[in-house]
Parts: sequence; C-alpha cells; structure tokens
Amino acid sequence: MKKFMFLMMALVMGFTASAQSLPDVKVENQEGKVVSIKEIVDGTPMIISFWSTTCKPCIMELNAIYSNLDEWLEEADFKVVAVSVDDARSVSRARGMVANWDGYTCLFDKNQDLKRAMNVSLTPHTFVVDGNGNIVASHSGYTPGSEQKLFEEIKALK
Amino acid sequence: MKKFLLFIGVLVAATLATNEASAQIQVGKGQISVALESNNTYYAKDKTLEDVGLIKPEERVRGDFGSNDYLKVDYRLGRFSAGVQVDGYLPGLYGYDLYTFQQRDSKLSAFITKYVQWEDQNWGVRLGDIYEQFGSGLIFRTYEDRNLGFNNSLAGARAYYNFNNMVNVKVLAGLPRLYDIRVNNPVWGADLSLSISDMAGWYDGMISIEGSYVGRYLNTKSPRDGFESTLLNMVSGRANFEYKGFSFRGEYAAKLNEDIFHASFPNSKGSAVVIDLGYNYKRFSASATFRRQENMNTNIMLTDPAIGGGNTFVYIPILTRQHTYSLANLNPYTSCTSHVGGEIGGQIDVYYSLRNPKVRSKYWNFHANFSMFNTLDHYKYDIFTWEPTMEIKGRNAWIEFNVDVERQWNKQLKTTFLYAFQRWDQALAKSDDPNEHYCTSHIFVGDVTYKINKRHSIRVEAQYLSSEDYQGDWVAGTIEYNFAPKWSFFVSDMWNCEAMGDPNHDADYDNYFDLENWDDVPGENLLLHYYQVGASFTHKSLRAILSYGRNRAGYVCSGGSCRYQPAYTGANLSITLSF
Repeated sequence: MKKFMFLMMALVMGFTASAQSLPDVKVENQEGKVVSIKEIVDGTPMIISFWSTTCKPCIMELNAIYSNLDEWLEEADFKVVAVSVDDARSVSRARGMVANWDGYTCLFDKNQDLKRAMNVSLTPHTFVVDGNGNIVASHSGYTPGSEQKLFEEIKALK
Repeated sequence: MKKFLLFIGVLVAATLATNEASAQIQVGKGQISVALESNNTYYAKDKTLEDVGLIKPEERVRGDFGSNDYLKVDYRLGRFSAGVQVDGYLPGLYGYDLYTFQQRDSKLSAFITKYVQWEDQNWGVRLGDIYEQFGSGLIFRTYEDRNLGFNNSLAGARAYYNFNNMVNVKVLAGLPRLYDIRVNNPVWGADLSLSISDMAGWYDGMISIEGSYVGRYLNTKSPRDGFESTLLNMVSGRANFEYKGFSFRGEYAAKLNEDIFHASFPNSKGSAVVIDLGYNYKRFSASATFRRQENMNTNIMLTDPAIGGGNTFVYIPILTRQHTYSLANLNPYTSCTSHVGGEIGGQIDVYYSLRNPKVRSKYWNFHANFSMFNTLDHYKYDIFTWEPTMEIKGRNAWIEFNVDVERQWNKQLKTTFLYAFQRWDQALAKSDDPNEHYCTSHIFVGDVTYKINKRHSIRVEAQYLSSEDYQGDWVAGTIEYNFAPKWSFFVSDMWNCEAMGDPNHDADYDNYFDLENWDDVPGENLLLHYYQVGASFTHKSLRAILSYGRNRAGYVCSGGSCRYQPAYTGANLSITLSF
C-alpha cells in the first residue's frame, strides 16, 4: 500500500502532464466490421461517449446532445462517437437503439477492450478529443445540463 | 481503514493537482494512466430485518465494514503497452461469490493481474492476463464485471494475425482466474475468421464465416462421484451476414466430451444453437434472438457444491430484457443453466421512433420486448447432492412482455411510461415442489424529467407492481434533484405494501444457502420499506456517490449474469477516478 502511495506522489510531483492520445484498440462499426478506434481520427474534434442499453443516464446524455446537435454544429465542427459497451447479450438491442441517433458514429465494444484501455470504470463516461486524436477532457457521470460543458470544451478547441 | 482513506486522499489530491483530469503523466516518451474504483459499505444494525430473519448477525463474520477496490495502472509507448491491476478486498463486501467459495471469514484478500502487449499493424502479442471472446462467447469469454465481482482473465499468452482483413487468426492459452485464486486447469483455444466479402471485393455488405476450438484440462480432480474425464474439447462454427439494414448471425457450438454436474446426468455432452436476426429501416428496427442450449455451462474448476457464477469461462447470458427500474427487476429470470441442464427460448425487440428531423427536441420512442424460455431437461437437480429432485421436462420457466413509450415534449420535459407482464415458475426458481404455481406480475412505471433551467433539473419516478403471488404488491418512488454538472441528490423508497392473500404465507426470501429458515416468518412482517437517500458528485473524471439505505435481498444482475445479494442496511461510498 505504501509503495503505491509513493508511486502516486512521485508521478504527480516528478512528471509533467500532457495530452493523452487514443489507444489503438479494435471495435466493431455499425456494419459489423472490425475497425481501430484510431481510424475515426480525421481532423474533426469529437465527443466520445461510452454507453450501454442498461445505462439510463448514458442514453439521457446522448439524447440531450442529439437535441442540441443542429444548433451546436452551427457554432463548431465536431462529431459524436457513441461507443456501446453492450456484450453479446444486448448488442443487437444496442444496434436497434442507435437508429434514433442519426448523425452519430456508432461503435460496438463487445468485450469492453476499448473501455478497459481508456480506463472507464462506470458509464456514462465521456471524452472530448481534438482533431489529432488527443484526449483533452474526460467526464464521468451525467446530470441534465452537463452536456453544455462538453460543448464549451469543443468550442475551446477552435 | 485509515490507510485506505489516506490512499483515497492521495489519489484525489493527485487528480486535482494535475488540474486537467484528462491529462496523463508523461514518463520519457511514454504515458502512464491510472484508474481507481473503490466501493465501500458500512453495515448498520437493523433490528427490523434481524427480527424477520433477513439479517443474521452471526453471518457478519468479516465485521461491519467491507471494501472492494480496484487500482489499474497502464503504461503506453507507441505500439508497446503494459499494465497492472490490483484488486483488494479489504475485506470484501457481503454478497459476492468470492466468499461462498473461500473461507467466509477471511479478512483481507488481494489479487494482481498484469500484462505486456505489442500491437502492430496486422498482428499483436499479449503476455499476462488476457481478456478475449470468441464469437458471442458461447465457448470462450474472459472478462471483468465488477458489479458481480467477476473476473476470469486467463494468465498466459495470446497472439493474433490479420491478413488484409480477409483472414484473422487468434491463438491463446493460459490458466484461468477464479475469484482470487489462479486455477491450475489450463484452457487453450484458437479462433479463425474469414471475411468472404473482403475476399470477393464486395463492400456493400458483409459475409463472414468463423470457427473456434477451446480445450480445458483438469489437473484438480473433481470431488463428484463417478466423474472421470479430464480433457474437455469444445467447438463452435459461425456465419454472419449483413446487407442494407438486414443482419443474420448464426452459431452452433458443441461440447464434445462428457462434463458438468453429476455423472448420473442423462446427457453430459453439450450443444447450443444461437440465431440472431436484425432489421433496420430508417427509424424502425427489430431484432430477434433464438437460443437452444443444453449442458453448455462449463466450469473452470469442478467443485461440490457449485460456487457461484464466477466459475466459468463461457458466456451464456440470460436473454431477457435487463430493466433499469427496480420493480421490473424485482424477480429477474436467472436462467436454467445452474441446476437445470438446459433451456430453449428467445426474445424479440421492436423499436420505432417518431420524429421530425428538423425539430430534434421533440420525439416519440416506442419499444416492445417479448421473451420466453422453456426447460429442456427431464429433471431439476439439487445443487448439493446432484440428485434429481423434480421432473421438469418442457416447463415454461419464464415469459415476459413489456412495452415502453418515451416522449420528449420539448427541451424541458420528458416522460417515460413502461408496462411489463412477467410470469415465472416458482417451482423451478425457488422450491422443489412441482405443484408450486406460476407467479405473475404486472408492473407499471411512470418517469418524468423536467429541466428547470440550464443547471437545475428534477426527475420523479413512480412504480407499482401488482401480483397475487409470491410477495404480493409493491410500490416504489424516487425523487432526484440535479445541479449540473457536479451534484445530484436522490431519495427513494420501495415498499412491499400488500402481502399475498394468505397472511401466513411463507417468507421464502430466496436465499438458497439458508433453506431451513424459509418457513419461519409470517408474510405480514415482511411489509417492509426499502428506502435510500444519497448524493453524487462528479468533477471531471472523479465520481463519488454516497448513499444510505435498506437493501432488499435479491439478485443483482449485470450483463446477463446475476449474483445473490443478501439484505442489508448501511452506508455506501463509491469512488471512481482516472487520470
């Protein structure tokens, strides 16, 4: 236990912080093909949101972003990437639900490899990523209205 | 405890110190990232629950405090990565299968998983703890689910090679993890996936065929009489097709050697068929899953008695809708795989969304779901003696129909209504009396969220369960007030408001480790309130949830698996953090 505390302190004090980049992990896209998460980096900033069919606040957050999307896109260019962490049991249900979110890039992380690589413990968990694939902000949880914060972070990337 | 609080304090300070929670720590050219999850419960005294026998103070063998903690540290440099995860049970929370297997009074326990990995353009190698899934997981899946206290990672090696997206080969071997020990029963496997569409240069859709093989060798002998086979072989073949919104996924899997349960089991080999159909057209989508599986549940270690849901490296999830409302989850289907040898059934989901693409803040979402499962085996078996206890061939184990309607009226107001009909077989689920009848529930839920302004919102939830059987009627309510983006407060209550017709009906509170006390408590004493009050705080990637309340004995389900949670009253503090 002590060793870990020292490690933490050393890390905080001894090293500088820098932007984290997306890991190279494979997920399924909407067509059922395996793609690397790095392939979605194309110069456009994005909001990456981890969700599942049994996570109500996740769906509320994605719906809230959806409601504002037209207005937000007038002010900033970005895309929304919804990563479902549903496993084989509910992935077909997830594929059905994403039909409601036209305009989103939907990915399926069936054995939660990306979730693990990005250190997501609980959903919802949202990342703001710049056009080069660097993670600039990370948020756990959702309360109605907190989607505004995501938009502010996207706008700040300009 | 003190050390633990200090530890949390250091981590919180570390996050705040880095200022940008998403920033991570640079070491040379590489990057370190850290994630912590800590779930703590203080168990309070609750005389009401003790009086009705739902809490037994003598079972609190590990004291009044429990803490399940996970610290994960990863290092990444280009294509190389390495990591370590420490799981600490300080001591573990009550209700996790870990302790039905271990000495139940052990105070502290920890388990460390680690890996090094190289991820190249078309190939990759990983040494250490491996999380992998072949197809839908029917013959192999290793994963972690902290809600269930589940982690069956394979300590060994894995390599894969991908040729132009046309051919993908994976091989792996290792020793599986069972709760907090490593079991010396090696498991190995190979998976081949051929993309026919890529080979043919057809990019409008997708056709692939796949096959897997998995083996397991038993070094630890089974204590069950008559069980002799040490080598187990399983195979699976799959075909996938997607074209213009239509999808088909089919899988056949077989267990080629005799395995599982008792030698007197009539058929100890296993087989399964899964068919998944999907169709999407604009805002309509439908999916249907059919599954027939017999004796496919495969253990890491054969023990007597069975030791919970964590003792497996295959994934046969419960294919019913997993509800998010408490009363719809009161008596979930827990499948016919543990003490009944197989099941046949499936489920259908239909979604339709009515919306004007120009007005994104107004829409209707409709969803209907139907699921049904019947038993396949002739007998139900006692989980301790493996003697047949009851004839069950062809019984309907579960049937459910539910429908929900979501309406976003404008940017402020959203309402949801859910109705569910559930019927389950009490004889299969809880007792061995074939004359026990079916339990039928009608569940109604209303849920309203109102956004007062950009930061303030309120959510109110009301639920009612009507039933003439089992525990009778229930009502539940929740009020949640949110201050975006940091704070949320909630109070809720779940009340067993009306006993079943006969006030002296047994309180069979479904703890199968405690069968002898089932008949002791008159039903009227169980008209209890299960209240909760709590708050959650989030700041960047830090989330803390503090709550206090009384929790009902029942199944906690996550991702198609369940664990039994005994009743308790107490305070919970859950913290997650990553940087």
